[in-house]
Amino acid sequence: MSADAHSHDDHHHDPPFWKKYIFSTDHKMIGLQYGITAMLFLAFGFYLMMVMRWSIAYPHQPLPEWMSFFLTDDWKARWLSDGKLTGETYNMFGAMHGTIMVFLGIVPLGFGAFGNYVTPLQIGAPDMAFPRLNMASYWIYLIGGLIMCASFFMESGAAKSGWTNYSPLAGFADGQIVNQWLAGQTQWLIGLVCLITSSLLGSVNFITTIINLRARGMTWMRMPFFVWSMLVTGFLLLLAFPPLEAAGIMQLMDRVAHSSFFMPTGLFTSQTGLAELSGGGSPLLFQHLFWFLGHPEVYVLLLPAFACVSDVIPVNSRKPLWGYKGMVYMVLVLGFLSFIVWAHHMYMTGMGPVISTFFQTTTVLISVPSVVIITSLLISLWGGSIKFTPPMMWACAFIPMFGIGGLTGLPLAFNLADLHLHDTYYVIGHFHYVVAPGILFGLFAGVLHWYPKITGRYMSSWLNQLHFWPSLICMNVIFAPMLLQGMAGFHRRWYNGGDGYLDKIAGKAGEESANIFANTVAQHIDLNILMSMGAWTLALAQIPFVINLFISWKTGKKVESDNPWNATTLEWATPTPPGHGNFTTEPVVYRGPYEYSRADHDEDYLPQWVEPKNKTAASVSQDKAEPAALEDKSDA
Amino acid sequence: MEIPYIVKARKDTGLTNSKIAIWLFLASEVMLFGGFFSAYVFMRIGADYPWPERTLPVLPGLINTFILIASSVTVVFAWAALKLRKWRQFQIFMGATVLCAAIFMCLKAVEYNVKFHHQAVRLNDYSIIEGHLDYKKDKDKNYIKKDGKKIEYNLINIKAESVIFSTVRFHKPWVEQILEQAEEQGSKMVLTEPYQGADGRADAKTTYVEAGTELSLDLLLKIREQHLKARAHNQKLRADALRCAWQIAKDANPGKRGWEISDQVGVDAEKLKPDMLTEMGAISFKIDSAAKLSFKPKNIKEADGQSRLRDDTVIKGKLLESPMKFHHVDAIDFQYLAMKAVQKGIDPMVAIENSWIIQNADFAKEAWEWHCEEVEKLEKELAKQDREPTLKDRYRIGWKEFSKKAEQEGMTDMGDWTILEEFKGPNYAARGEETFPHLAVPRGEIAFASKFVPQWNTYYAIYFTITGLHGLHVIGGALVLGYYLFFGRRMYETNPEWLANRVEVGGLFWHFVDLIWIFAFPIFYLM
Repeated sequence: MSADAHSHDDHHHDPPFWKKYIFSTDHKMIGLQYGITAMLFLAFGFYLMMVMRWSIAYPHQPLPEWMSFFLTDDWKARWLSDGKLTGETYNMFGAMHGTIMVFLGIVPLGFGAFGNYVTPLQIGAPDMAFPRLNMASYWIYLIGGLIMCASFFMESGAAKSGWTNYSPLAGFADGQIVNQWLAGQTQWLIGLVCLITSSLLGSVNFITTIINLRARGMTWMRMPFFVWSMLVTGFLLLLAFPPLEAAGIMQLMDRVAHSSFFMPTGLFTSQTGLAELSGGGSPLLFQHLFWFLGHPEVYVLLLPAFACVSDVIPVNSRKPLWGYKGMVYMVLVLGFLSFIVWAHHMYMTGMGPVISTFFQTTTVLISVPSVVIITSLLISLWGGSIKFTPPMMWACAFIPMFGIGGLTGLPLAFNLADLHLHDTYYVIGHFHYVVAPGILFGLFAGVLHWYPKITGRYMSSWLNQLHFWPSLICMNVIFAPMLLQGMAGFHRRWYNGGDGYLDKIAGKAGEESANIFANTVAQHIDLNILMSMGAWTLALAQIPFVINLFISWKTGKKVESDNPWNATTLEWATPTPPGHGNFTTEPVVYRGPYEYSRADHDEDYLPQWVEPKNKTAASVSQDKAEPAALEDKSDA
Repeated sequence: MEIPYIVKARKDTGLTNSKIAIWLFLASEVMLFGGFFSAYVFMRIGADYPWPERTLPVLPGLINTFILIASSVTVVFAWAALKLRKWRQFQIFMGATVLCAAIFMCLKAVEYNVKFHHQAVRLNDYSIIEGHLDYKKDKDKNYIKKDGKKIEYNLINIKAESVIFSTVRFHKPWVEQILEQAEEQGSKMVLTEPYQGADGRADAKTTYVEAGTELSLDLLLKIREQHLKARAHNQKLRADALRCAWQIAKDANPGKRGWEISDQVGVDAEKLKPDMLTEMGAISFKIDSAAKLSFKPKNIKEADGQSRLRDDTVIKGKLLESPMKFHHVDAIDFQYLAMKAVQKGIDPMVAIENSWIIQNADFAKEAWEWHCEEVEKLEKELAKQDREPTLKDRYRIGWKEFSKKAEQEGMTDMGDWTILEEFKGPNYAARGEETFPHLAVPRGEIAFASKFVPQWNTYYAIYFTITGLHGLHVIGGALVLGYYLFFGRRMYETNPEWLANRVEVGGLFWHFVDLIWIFAFPIFYLM
């Protein structure tokens, strides 16, 4: 409503279409761009996974038409064999599924989209500190992503050495391509450097914005937990990504300048024989540099989900976030600890007991802040008057789902248990529980929570039910059996789901065999079909969400006010949707972010921006409303 | 609402936006270069070859160090001038800064260029020879390309009888190169087998391309097109047939799981054959009078009888003598050989005596004997100070030693070396072949060869990566500072404080770039 009034203002001409929607410098539009792009990438990553799951469930059967009808015959002839997925293609899809989901999907959705849209609103800033830099981050991200994905259609195919891109495998993959710049494996690295540049610019922008553009009265301990999470995420991206960039550049040198950073002496491959390289490099160095990013990256994925849930839960339980200060300190501890746990991904490399003990200890330690945060969220529900609004359903599902993901990680922290579980489906099950039903559910909660602010309309609750329940069930159908298979010893990179290990003497398949492992595989292999069915059903379950996203934009129930959830944080003080510059009047903050159900207040919420009525009341000392002292106004 | 704190600092943080941002950015840069420097440590500790110590000429690096430090000072003066609103002074100091950057990059370019043309080769016995290769000759004169450059002659020669291209993968420039070479020698390359039945079915007698057709790029492309068409067609047929077969098998075995019946299901190739198109995955060409084909060593995996190019082209034929000819040898290095000898429990001196180069090149034998005497002298000299010659002193005869030897023997009167030679390497023309002799190394003796580029060893890999990235930072910084210098006037007139802020931030970055060099210089040049 106020936005309409805004556009009638003679001084404010609407910018042209391309400036408003495409090359926009407005943090809200950039946030939406990030969100839409990330969801498209997520869908693509999901598709790759569906194809892989076919190969795992039915390794001897050609891909069904519904999965491949839009691919050209030529492409199929190059990458499939008799219509079946080859191991090479499976590797390619697997590597790209991981890369796309992590780097192009979840991070941009959590940090890029929610961070961009919500953070400046919640701290009362007119925009990001550097709007044009913000635009650059988005475009560099998009270009990087497209470069990576474009390689699917080239002679070499896309990257095929796992999302971790370990050398020396990644060093000589696609070696038959004469112009190495046109090899998928090289393009992955170029795309990666783009993505890192993008997130570097983004994180500098976020941190600067949070430090310097907070509204008057928005002291550190009045910032919503959401903003704290984004601040820590920003620091993780800022400091953890550059070592991977170094690794990426060195691997790029290995590929295009034939150096031997990660190539050991005497490397022999079946393709080329003895490699014509100087040798002398260290494959282990790549792993160290990769996981130095890799582990903080997990928290880069996770913290935005924590952020969304921590906003949804107080609003819908009408109760302050329990242990806000503790959560803030814990998220800082989490951020710090995440830098010193990376080698728990490398127990299998034969590191000495001293080093592995160190990383084992830090890894167990890092579960403490995570548990404190998740427990605080849980306790925040206690005694509240919970409203099961659509976002709240997702937030409530987030807690147990993330709980399973987190707890199944504990055995992996211990060297001894990890030696058995490493590289099995147990690991896949563990981190997918964290990322898919955990993080994604948290982000869905965020989408539903802020949708009314973005569009002025609610998303359909009915379609949401249709989305939520099948998703919840399917997620567990897919990932719980993985934990079982993993403990039985199923390796995570089998393109045929273990079929190759079955003892199949003609006509006797399925009978007890002398090969013990074959028996184990036979016992668990049928779970593959269950999981694959679950995965494809999960795809169907996303359709109501997509419909909901578009239909509600035009036909959803209109919001009654600018603050439809009766929330307390600053983003709800803006017009709906917020215009350029966000706030119609300069926001001033008088109190903390979660003032719900206060005894001294008539309504059950007291927003941050509402001026205290009675200065003599007891609440004043608590509010410490002294914003004027924070800055001089001549700047604005 | 405007974005605040662009020019004036926020009271409680005391910082402008850009000041916070640049420090954050520098923190991230520290992590980036931290990654590279830790890679350096890893590479050096883990090196399984003698790490080249003090191998780069110190003088250019030292000069560059002072230039960068000077530029860091001038950039501060430029900022101060701006704060005092003295535009002219700002221009002078900023101009000096950008000029320093330019000089730095020029010196760097000279350093790089010398290495790009300096050849090294490791023999099977781990001795290393360094020098410059012969140029391609055109009637005793250097062959000059159209762009005025000489090209080095370092090729693998094969008396080729036939060439087999990979249909989907052949690299066009290489095909053209082969064609050109064959044509020059008047040889014809003709298709060995006809490409049959392409338009219809495999059993049809139609011929798509006749045997005996001459090789051309168009022909290869034509065959590729047909092959890809056939491949797609056949794969589709096979996939459909397999799908049908599975349907039938499932119906016949109700209740059975897929993996239990999978070995009974397959494609009946015989039944499909009438509908299949002919594929031609490899295209073989005969050469009527065997021609000498030459290839760059990095493109070919050579072997007698059958060699393979990187694009999977197979060259059949006898491997000809293709020695690597050094126009000038300027260093012989036995450090690696000595290391390997010690590992095997052999006396390094014996191993050196038995090395290929000492056995086969008189000048090397002579130089080694002279060098041993020199080492003896040095040993006595150092013993007075309770020191010993380093491995490098003992086992490496560098260009300075060669020059010294020539000087002692009165072959030249150039003195030990000149300043220019410190930058550009030895002056072959002046010192002549007596000092830096010619040498031909048979291909079979070579284990690994490369220019002094990242490929040569991990030392050069990390050297080029760190200094190259540092160079990019210098260029980037100079561009930004240059922008303030040449396009800052308007901002100076409207909002000089803002410009000063920007210069300050740029200056901070510039100091950081300087700092990186302060770390890079000692670890690469001095240690």
